[in-house]
Amino acid sequence: MTYLSKMTPGQSGRVVGYTKDSPVTRRLTELGLAPGRQVVYLRNAPLRDPLEVQVGSTFLSLRRAEASLVAVEIDE
Amino acid sequence: MLATTVLNKKKTAVNVAICGNPNSGKTTIFNAITGLKQRVANYPGVTVEKTVGQFRVEPSGPHRHRHRHGHKYAHAHGDEGTTYNLIDIPGAYSLAAFSPDEYIAARALFGDFGPETAPDVIVCVIDATQLERGLYLLFQTLQIGRPTLVALNMMDLAQRRGMKIDVNELSRQLGGLTVVPVIGSKGKGITELKQAVARLNEHASTADFDIYHPATIAVITRLEQLSGRSNRSRAEYLRVLFDVGGPAERQYLAQPADGAREALDTGRAELAEQFGSLTAAETASLTQTAAAIAAASVRIPATRETRSERIDRFLLHPVLGPVILVTLMALIFQSIFAWAEPVMRLIDQLFAHLGAVIGTQLPEGPVKSLLVDGVIGGVGSVLVFLPQIVILFLFIAILEDSGYMPRMAFLVDRAFRWCGLSGKSFIPLLSSFACAVPGIMATRTIEDRKLRFITIMVAPLMTCSARLPVYAIMIAAFIPHRPVLGLFNTQGLLLGALYLLGLVVAVIVSLILKKTLFKTQRGTFMMELPSYKVPTARSVSIRVFNRARQFVLRAGTVILAITIIIWALSYYPHSESITRDFEARRAAFQQEYAGEDQKALDARLQELGNEQAGAQLRNSYLGRIGHAVDPVFEPLGWDWKITMATLASFPAREVVIATLGTIYNLGSDPDHSGSLVEKMREARWEYGPKIGQTVFNPAVALSIMVFFALCCQCGATVVTIKQETGAWKYAVGVFTYMTVAAYLGAMATYQIFSRLWS
Repeated sequence: MTYLSKMTPGQSGRVVGYTKDSPVTRRLTELGLAPGRQVVYLRNAPLRDPLEVQVGSTFLSLRRAEASLVAVEIDE
Repeated sequence: MLATTVLNKKKTAVNVAICGNPNSGKTTIFNAITGLKQRVANYPGVTVEKTVGQFRVEPSGPHRHRHRHGHKYAHAHGDEGTTYNLIDIPGAYSLAAFSPDEYIAARALFGDFGPETAPDVIVCVIDATQLERGLYLLFQTLQIGRPTLVALNMMDLAQRRGMKIDVNELSRQLGGLTVVPVIGSKGKGITELKQAVARLNEHASTADFDIYHPATIAVITRLEQLSGRSNRSRAEYLRVLFDVGGPAERQYLAQPADGAREALDTGRAELAEQFGSLTAAETASLTQTAAAIAAASVRIPATRETRSERIDRFLLHPVLGPVILVTLMALIFQSIFAWAEPVMRLIDQLFAHLGAVIGTQLPEGPVKSLLVDGVIGGVGSVLVFLPQIVILFLFIAILEDSGYMPRMAFLVDRAFRWCGLSGKSFIPLLSSFACAVPGIMATRTIEDRKLRFITIMVAPLMTCSARLPVYAIMIAAFIPHRPVLGLFNTQGLLLGALYLLGLVVAVIVSLILKKTLFKTQRGTFMMELPSYKVPTARSVSIRVFNRARQFVLRAGTVILAITIIIWALSYYPHSESITRDFEARRAAFQQEYAGEDQKALDARLQELGNEQAGAQLRNSYLGRIGHAVDPVFEPLGWDWKITMATLASFPAREVVIATLGTIYNLGSDPDHSGSLVEKMREARWEYGPKIGQTVFNPAVALSIMVFFALCCQCGATVVTIKQETGAWKYAVGVFTYMTVAAYLGAMATYQIFSRLWS
């Protein structure tokens, strides 16, 4: 298990949970990054932050700091 | 069988709230239903103000379900006479508000803004391609306990992606809730949607199915009993329970009943233990139910790369992306100048011609002067800039509707963060290039209060469309046109530099604010990147047209009024002695040159006419005030006319052009017509150490442009800042710092450039 922020572009994985319970993690859930969902790490913005991920048919941008709150299991 | 049921006829206006996720196409559906022209844009959170439109439902006659044979059953729906007020609610992902915008949405749905806008029926718009996320909001909305239906939007996009959506199954899964498939952008399904609203209102049925866990329901029932208030919905108690430290909790605990605090604490602890965390007690139930319902009613093909993703591989490329962004901006500013030029020249000539015609038709006197110098000279010189305004808004509308704007925010977030802003500040700031007022309102999508305030306080530094006329006339008149690197030219580059100046000062100011008044936390940047859409000609043209109309209206009202005041101040007191004096000199000339060179005489007479007009203007009230305050603006290189024109433009920047137009018309021989640019080029110092020199030169033009780049000469902006921050001190603060910066900036510019060119 690792964190979304540690993934690299092109990798995919599954959201396992969050490192803490906060309005930010609640919002990530509401935007689609809910535990159990499949996530694809698409790309970094210039200067490597923020980053873009795909969950289902939703494309989300979030900062590395927010991504570090999301625990994921990277697909083999 | 004729069943004529007339229900619910007591109330004549029914409030229908239309809610949904950002980018779900709410506003498009709103427009399609009401026909009311309203802003639609393809980035999160554009609907920042409450918008209401009205609609009626056509009496349906024979029932709309197709009964081809069998009995005809007419079913009057009680629609006749019922007016529906459709209320556009700001986009929200959840009723657990994360931004001020979402808080407004939640309160509007709860009916917090009074009975006039409290919803009787709720239409929840769901993007068919984002079903799960839409269902999440729907589930929360259902707890409000109002009759609710689903408008399943973007069915065409879903189909293009190969999704198979079983609408009937979805409705069944949702406990029989009405689900109307629509394609908002094409107006498909809108009639059905309106009829469904009418039917729902009549039968006033609320959905009956449980999503929240019984443990959660038990806690909120306890909270409800303790408060003893029956007018709050379950949805509101859910906010009290789940939004720790939020506004609902504060309200609930404001006059706490015995044991309310304890009930809340123990309830939260129980749920946290049962679900792993308090938040999960809500989010887990909702997301899991949403996922299950979506799985049962939609078949999604194996993922393939979408069109948007293919585009983003270029537009969001780490190197290519920023290059494209900068090039695009440069080209936009370039074309604002290049494309507008021919049309502007035409309008300019039209007004000059109009002034000349009226001038020859009317007798000498105040009426003629008011019309020619005040109205045509003033308002006319502002209207010339209509083509540029149209082109600017055309680009902004295309950027907004295409879905590129959030991508811009994505590209610049890191760089913006360095300046104390966020990528989320980018959209409000970019809107401020059109006008700071909607820009400041758009900051409501920024959840962090300090970050939002910084953005509000620097937004007026963005080069809004009202500055464009000022820049345009100064550049056209005093900056030589020379090609640079083939593609660009000096005039276009200077314009670009002025836009950049606003940005640079904004960066400096926000850095200072970040270090002093608003020590910010880091803020967040969780944002959806919506799929790209080809902007529809209809939506783009509606917005461009509305903006153009606003510009013309402003020219016809505020600017006209100020122009007339300026005209009066600079026309009166029309000194008879000056007139007599010049008549005598004129007669003397005529005698002197009698029988000699007619051309020389004409030239002398025209000179004399200008001199006379100048003398009258100096003697006017405006002239006297101007001379009194002029020393303050002397270090900026301004004469009293520029000074007065600038001071008069406090309510709106573009007034300065109108005022200059009036002053220069009055200050020249009425029989000598010419454009404002020509008159400004000819203007000479009539007093002081620079007497005889031309008033304007590139250094003075630059000084004026820098002043207008940085000043806050806009009444509407000041009022909006007060509204959005809730305090005059911020509005006054912004006005003060900008005025000081403008003065100092203009002074530095003049002092440096006048030495460079002398």
